[in-house]
Amino acid sequence: MNPIDNFEHIRDRVRQLPLELERFRELLLANVIMFGEIPAPTFHEQERINLMEQRFTECGLQNCSIDEKGNGAAIIPGSEGGSTIMVAAHADTPFPASVDHTLTLEPDRIVGPGIADNSLGIAVLATLPTLLEGVGISFKSDILLLSSVKSLNEGNQEGLRFFLSNTKRPIAAALAVEGVQLGRLNYRSRASLGGEIFCVADKAYEEVSALDVLSQIIYRLRKIQLPEQSATRLILGYIEGGVTYKTPARKARLKFQLSSDSDQTIVDITEKIDSLIAELSKEYKANIDFNIIARTRYGGMDPKHFFVLQARRVLTTLGIHPGDNPYSSVVSGFVENEIPAMCIGITTGENLNYPDERIDISPIMKGVAQLIGLLMAIDGGCCAEH
Amino acid sequence: MQNISNWLQSNTFHHSQFWDLLRLIEEKEKKGLTVSLCIPTLNEEKTIGKEVVLFKSELVDRYPLLDEIAVIDSGSTDRTIEVAASFGASVYLSADILPETGFKRGKGENLWKAIYQLQGDIIVYVDADIKNIHPRFVYGLVAPIIYRPEIKYVKAFYDRPLALSSEIRPSGGGRVTEILVRPLFSLFFPELTAIIQPLSGEYAVKREILERIPFPVGYGVETSHLIDVYDGWGIEAFAQTDLDKRVHRHQSTRDLGKMAFGILRTFLKRLKTKGIVKDMPELTPYLRQFQARENNYEQIIHEIVEEERPPMIELPEYRAKRGIE
Repeated sequence: MNPIDNFEHIRDRVRQLPLELERFRELLLANVIMFGEIPAPTFHEQERINLMEQRFTECGLQNCSIDEKGNGAAIIPGSEGGSTIMVAAHADTPFPASVDHTLTLEPDRIVGPGIADNSLGIAVLATLPTLLEGVGISFKSDILLLSSVKSLNEGNQEGLRFFLSNTKRPIAAALAVEGVQLGRLNYRSRASLGGEIFCVADKAYEEVSALDVLSQIIYRLRKIQLPEQSATRLILGYIEGGVTYKTPARKARLKFQLSSDSDQTIVDITEKIDSLIAELSKEYKANIDFNIIARTRYGGMDPKHFFVLQARRVLTTLGIHPGDNPYSSVVSGFVENEIPAMCIGITTGENLNYPDERIDISPIMKGVAQLIGLLMAIDGGCCAEH
Repeated sequence: MQNISNWLQSNTFHHSQFWDLLRLIEEKEKKGLTVSLCIPTLNEEKTIGKEVVLFKSELVDRYPLLDEIAVIDSGSTDRTIEVAASFGASVYLSADILPETGFKRGKGENLWKAIYQLQGDIIVYVDADIKNIHPRFVYGLVAPIIYRPEIKYVKAFYDRPLALSSEIRPSGGGRVTEILVRPLFSLFFPELTAIIQPLSGEYAVKREILERIPFPVGYGVETSHLIDVYDGWGIEAFAQTDLDKRVHRHQSTRDLGKMAFGILRTFLKRLKTKGIVKDMPELTPYLRQFQARENNYEQIIHEIVEEERPPMIELPEYRAKRGIE
């Protein structure tokens, strides 16, 4: 079947899917709750992965396994095999285990920490084999399901990177599933660096606060010229320091992200940061450490890649408006391994990464239909056609 | 009390002992048993949806342990009924069940009417206010009855230490249990003290027991159950299962006072009817509590009437429905 005819077939099938999938809504929601109420801060995802493996085993999948980094994986065998499509969802959330992970299920939404990022994503992954069987869709390619660990922040996608570096299966294409936002189509990764600056004031200079040092660092960071042509940005995302308002802070910490359309720009600015840290250490007689906690490379698919075009058509068929921002660090692990990859969102939601994070229930099956439609498109050869 | 030690040893379980749901379902089918879940509600819109979704998906669709899930509501004024129905539960208004017997407000009323409305040989009751709901809240309670025919009444308890050492650690129930119910049991029914959380709202019971015991409609229902089942079938009919942790609403001391009053009335009534204590005066239904407003103290009077429903088997409607001569 040529790609045009194939898409006609996919479009007809995909249109029917949201309604057909609706009867599995409770099954999916139950998985959302089961996974979502297990705390899974980065580096401590094992209990979620164990549940994932239980789910994969219950579905009778092949090669259910947990690798040495802790990733959970399984395979839905295709009718022809030979080619493998990966569906990945990260298991970790940015919330510590001490946060109450109780979810509230209302008729139209679910509320609770980590529900969007990424409890819904891994619940979709766990339910996907049942959903595919329920709607009678199978593929020629093997579908490799991966619940990855150590993804967020300092995790720096360690689990996914390990898997991609070590798997013996060539991955034809990948879909990364996130809870929100429905309509996102991210297929490119920007060059980026996640940095942490940690200041410890010298005890001998009691009047010097580590916060003073940190504020100077921030001032100097903001003085660095960011090249406009490469859309370079510096985001100051996190700050902590001190113990009480009464005494100068001994320690202070800043976390930031530098991103750009140029790998070289990141290298150049990193050198500038190194040198300003050295200067300020001397000036304030403070110990200042600059650590790189995450890094991504620039790259990904061209907007005119047939996979991207097909993906937009799948979304449009479902009445989903495809977003305009092609970038997400979620696909960076795939970009580094030169695997065509797309990050999608399953539903709409708000308050992302806050304890009252929430997702809307009604769009979920449309989001799942989108995932299945994209798998059909890849299985039909849209990546190979490029 | 050797019997208590033996019972604790043989009839106290942990839910993890019953993780193999396929085996449990096989055993249930072999014995031809049916299981109904009853969730009594009154304004539980925040938690009911989750309970229904989880039990239906996990214990009806994925592992068919439950034959029926019913929400029995006492007249919620929030969205409890709408939420439960939207996620596929059978929802009944307590007032609509056996309407000729009238309607009394209280959780015990819902539990009693569930015996008439539901079909199962085993009925498992789970409160609707559990925030960390999980399938273990059902299978952990039902499994001992399915595996061990002599067990007829399984009570939940919640005890999950983060680390176990060889040190002795206290284990017990909530405030009302430890300062009221266990002391009373120690005085009058020492064997019942071995039930770690006598007031927990989660329990599974065989129909043959449920239909033969009376039901206080209010706070005293759990306490009266224990006394009546113990009186009729002995401690051997009980078991208890550790369900780890239960997260629920915290009740104020004032509310616990009302609960304690209701339980005490039920308890004293049992002592009288069983002839354990004679010449008891008429008990007032009025609980008096006090509050301070500036320098004045005000009396608050609560009327707490512990009405009782008779054993269901005494109702002609029930006997007709179940074909009992």
